Amino acid sequence: MAHMHDFEAHVRAVEEDLEYYRTKRLEPRIMFLIRRGVIGFHDLLGAFRPGRERASDAADLEARIRAVEDRLDEYVKAIGLASTSEHVIEDTRKERGDYDPWFRIAKRHHEGTLEERVAALENELDEQMAVVQAFTTALIETGRLTDAELGYRRERAQAGPWNGAKIVARAWVDPDFKARLLERGREAVRELDIPPGRLGKLGVAEDTETVHNVVVCTLCSCYPHDLLGDTPWWYKHDGYKQRVVRDPRGTLREMFDLELPPDVQIRVHDSTSDIRWMVLPRRPAGTEHMNEAELAELVTQECLIGTALPGVPGRVHA
Amino acid sequence: MPEHRFRAGDRVRVLVDNPEGNPRTPKHIRGKTGVVTALRGTMENPLDHRGVYPPLCTVEFGVADVFGGDSTDKLLLDLHEDWLEPA
Repeated sequence: MAHMHDFEAHVRAVEEDLEYYRTKRLEPRIMFLIRRGVIGFHDLLGAFRPGRERASDAADLEARIRAVEDRLDEYVKAIGLASTSEHVIEDTRKERGDYDPWFRIAKRHHEGTLEERVAALENELDEQMAVVQAFTTALIETGRLTDAELGYRRERAQAGPWNGAKIVARAWVDPDFKARLLERGREAVRELDIPPGRLGKLGVAEDTETVHNVVVCTLCSCYPHDLLGDTPWWYKHDGYKQRVVRDPRGTLREMFDLELPPDVQIRVHDSTSDIRWMVLPRRPAGTEHMNEAELAELVTQECLIGTALPGVPGRVHA
Repeated sequence: MPEHRFRAGDRVRVLVDNPEGNPRTPKHIRGKTGVVTALRGTMENPLDHRGVYPPLCTVEFGVADVFGGDSTDKLLLDLHEDWLEPA
């Protein structure tokens, strides 16, 4: 494992992410359900089990920083598991104070030496895990969430193409999210309870009427796999990698049965470990009646690479 | 943090060789000329960098300029500035 160059930047990133998820994703959601009487404070307190103290057994600071980064991912996934999709985006934003600062939950600020800040994070992550676990238990005990649903969500909480599908569907229905996604990449996916991962930058290439994007890694097989899961087998194959840069149009036609109009320009993005690319395809015509979850069903792994279009069954002849 | 040497719209040529630089600049693009389309800043990449590399630019190349032929399609690569010279 290579060494971190900049401890300060890593610690600051965890601090900022933890505060983002606590004040924007978890606590407003708990309050939303409490305000509407779905669960009560009593349910939450009844579901509270004191957290296991996770005394860090790591001796050096770098290992402790990596451990809090992993714990943060666990926390984000746990919030995703406890999220009911039944309330709409607007409600969430209202509740967390996007429109009215009065509702905004105060953020904490961390001071002191790096060691002290890491210790504070270890402590807060223990506390926050206990809160999200109490919330999940309360949802189960009040019948809002079933074990089966929880199991399904747990499976889906692993990195996989469904994350990409969620990202794309949200971008289709929410122009503000799309703007943030194109501008800041990984940072924006936090809104979907997806751990943003740490594998370099996420580049998002948007298809338009006149542009179709395709992703390749000509050197190896760079891909945002911490976010979108493993690539299809052909992505690592020279047959794809060498051909798609020399003849993008012919490769899409012959390997994937994807024939693009001559006036659509193909742009092939070469992913590296610095910037890993995904495609934001166009929303298919005739899907105006579909909701976000239905739209996500149209987006396959191939759509995220640009070798298939949403809603059209993909093919590979490799 | 090192500043960008180039701006979006600049025409740049990729060096043929750069022993000090990121060895992963693909061979097929070396010596080719393209246009900077975006500046990406300096990237900390502990897994793949030998130290901190110079800022990263997205550069657009014509498929035809790189491989010949009459394609109007484009290749986009994210390249470190030490690999680029003004063209």
